[in-house]
Amino acid sequence: MASLSEEVLLVLKKVRQRKQDGTLYLMAERIAWGPEGKDRFTVSHLYSDIRCQKISPDGKAKIQLQLVLHTGESSTFHFSNDSSALTDREAAKDLLQQLLPKFKKKANKELEEKNRMLQEDPVLFQLYKDLVVSQVISAEEFWANRMSTTNTENTLSDKKQDVGISAAFLADIRPQTDGCNGLRYNLTPDIIESIFRTYPAVQQKYGENVPHNLTEKEFWTRFFQSHYFHRDRISTGALDIFSECAKQDEKGQVPSYEGYGFSAAASTSNPNRTGKENSNSAIIKRFNHHSAMILAAGSRRGDAPNDQASETSSTDGNSRDSDLFQPPIKKVKLQEAIDYLDLQREDGPKTVALNLKKSDRYAHGPVPLESQKYTTSQDIINSITCIRHEMANYVPNLAQVLTSSAVSSAIAALSPGGVLMQTGTQQAINQMVPSEVQGELKHLYIAAGELLRHFWTCFPVNSPFLEEKVVKMRSNLERFQMTKLRPFQEKVQRQYLSANITGHLEEMLQTAYNKLHAWQTRRMMRKI
Amino acid sequence: MDATKPKRRRKRHHTATEIDEQLFVSHFINLQLHFVINKDELNLLVIVMDVNPIWWGQQAQREPEFTLSKCLDAVMVMGNSHMAMTTTNRLAVISSHFQDSHFLYPCKNWTGGDGAWDGTMDEAPYCGDGKYELLSVANNVVAEEMKRVMSTTEMKGNSTDTLLAGSLAKALCCILLKIVTFFSAGQEMKSRILVIKTAEDCARQYMNFMNVIFAAQKQNILIDACVLDSDSGLLQQACDITGGLYLKIPQKIALAQYLLWVFLPDLEQRPQLVLPPPVHVDYRAACFCHRNLIEIGYVCSVCLSIFCNFSPICTTCETAFKIQLPQMMKSKKKKLKQSI
Repeated sequence: MASLSEEVLLVLKKVRQRKQDGTLYLMAERIAWGPEGKDRFTVSHLYSDIRCQKISPDGKAKIQLQLVLHTGESSTFHFSNDSSALTDREAAKDLLQQLLPKFKKKANKELEEKNRMLQEDPVLFQLYKDLVVSQVISAEEFWANRMSTTNTENTLSDKKQDVGISAAFLADIRPQTDGCNGLRYNLTPDIIESIFRTYPAVQQKYGENVPHNLTEKEFWTRFFQSHYFHRDRISTGALDIFSECAKQDEKGQVPSYEGYGFSAAASTSNPNRTGKENSNSAIIKRFNHHSAMILAAGSRRGDAPNDQASETSSTDGNSRDSDLFQPPIKKVKLQEAIDYLDLQREDGPKTVALNLKKSDRYAHGPVPLESQKYTTSQDIINSITCIRHEMANYVPNLAQVLTSSAVSSAIAALSPGGVLMQTGTQQAINQMVPSEVQGELKHLYIAAGELLRHFWTCFPVNSPFLEEKVVKMRSNLERFQMTKLRPFQEKVQRQYLSANITGHLEEMLQTAYNKLHAWQTRRMMRKI
Repeated sequence: MDATKPKRRRKRHHTATEIDEQLFVSHFINLQLHFVINKDELNLLVIVMDVNPIWWGQQAQREPEFTLSKCLDAVMVMGNSHMAMTTTNRLAVISSHFQDSHFLYPCKNWTGGDGAWDGTMDEAPYCGDGKYELLSVANNVVAEEMKRVMSTTEMKGNSTDTLLAGSLAKALCCILLKIVTFFSAGQEMKSRILVIKTAEDCARQYMNFMNVIFAAQKQNILIDACVLDSDSGLLQQACDITGGLYLKIPQKIALAQYLLWVFLPDLEQRPQLVLPPPVHVDYRAACFCHRNLIEIGYVCSVCLSIFCNFSPICTTCETAFKIQLPQMMKSKKKKLKQSI
């Protein structure tokens, strides 16, 4: 065989294509087929070219896999290995199912992503226009920072959402009569997954029995036949592999949610109950159990990927591993899985008592302990007697409360421009400059902020790449100042006499220049 | 004249403009009514007057033209004006002393009822000018009570600070009581507190003061402040937090004018007037060790006490701290690149 520089994931022999025997190779980035005896591939498709795959239905004699490309062409592979054709085909199909989505239109995806980001965020769009379109910085620099952040965000958000289990998944199976006294159950992988997640015991059984003892089809047939599944659940027949599951459930290892249909009192069986009541309560009990298992599966899902193996072995009482030292660990794990903090009684957070030595410090506000004006006791006595005297002779004279001169000076002080109204005018600057100018100023700030951020992240300058970047950023900043800031400033000054609204921006840029200058001189000193 | 036949009136179809006009006019009238007679809402103004005799006694010696009498007159004018605005306005006056806080008006001691001139009052003091009886009664009561308060002033303890926090708390209680009594009758009430302050802040009342301020804020009660002498940081904070106005007046003799101009309008009318802008409030904290006002300091993460300097043990809760000092960087020997 020619040296394969790619990683080969799967090799399937005895695969026919166009009536020729050969071998099918699935590699990291493409799928290829070569005729037997030859060491080159006649058929090779990149995963990114494949639009979808199709398989021949189960009943057909020929076991085939068809790949449909984006261009519309299709290639068909016929698995002709007598013993393992079906498994080969299934293996190929599964692998393709995993790989194809990754490669689908990967190249275009990035452009789409960029477009989407620009459309969603008008601020970003404006920044892009200001910086890249006017060629202050290049597009790669602009996207260099952005893409890394968004990629991580997307993957994080993907991981967060997991599809939960529908409570009606068992009912949705909806068996159809086959015509001749049989039932046909349509099982999709989703339903199988739901069953496994809700009833880990069944998953355990599946792991044990398939593919050693039973085929998948037989397993599921038995499952549906077993009285474990049916509502009446009269456990008969020790042959039933699911009778153990039923027994385990009866033991009550399932979490019980107080108040949601479970109550401790009802579990004690009342001997006077009639048969019908008993069956009703049994059904209700099973229903509650089912719901409880679903809820438990939902909470278990959080730590499922890591603990799947250990959990299934620990929660299934019939695990082959030694039961003896499992129970305590099992119980702890079970306890963790079923403990809902907000359903428990409020314990209150564990507190440590605060040990304060000088708690009167808090009572004293931020009023500094200045020395108050000292009044001698004689002064105090004098004041009090004076006031007493005055008040004893008090007669309200409301007709002579104000003199006109006092009033006019007070009114003058309170009118706009007066003594008391001074600070008001300083706030009017945003009323003196129109909103378009304010909008432009905001854009300038955003653009300058972005450039300055690039500049300041270069410090401390550790590598030659950063050195170049720092110098480049300085030239970018200068260009920004020339092309954007100066004209804006001149325009503002021409039209509106007031304020220096770009003063702060200039200050920031100047600080950056100073820093660069200081760094450069220090470098020169070191070199000398 | 044929009077038997009723005149047939032709129905006039009102044109669109006529209908608009009618709607506009009725809407306008409704608005006027709403502003003038709002039967549903009471407006309570509580005036808290700082009557610290020591400050006022010294003031009488400093500036004889503006004494406690004049101040009381100005407050009465303000109270009368407030009550004269609409019939649903109510007034309360509290005097804030260094020994207690006292309700000058309305007062339990006065037996004449709630302002009704029911003929049982024998005297008709100060009433000769034909004023609205409610106003004259209020003035009388205030004057009488103030005389009583001042005549019973005694210097017992050594505290000369005005109990302002206590007075504000009493004001709040009065407001809440009125709210409760009127709420059961289905009437809403809006209230505000006007503080006329003369003496200086008392640092010991800080906690109580802040509690009162936050309680007022929760109940949507405004606290306005008119300061005569020295700026008060606590009142500035109070006004800032509750949304009231703080004013330090430059001329004490024009106090009445300032009160009427700035503090008479209530909350709804204030945005439509040009009033003095809010003051910049100094919210800096004081360090626990020196009580200096600081902007940047060290806070203990256990007891939240603030210090201006780092100390390895917090003096309030005795927790030991470790701060990571910047590591000493070993000077790296630079590898000189061999240039080929």
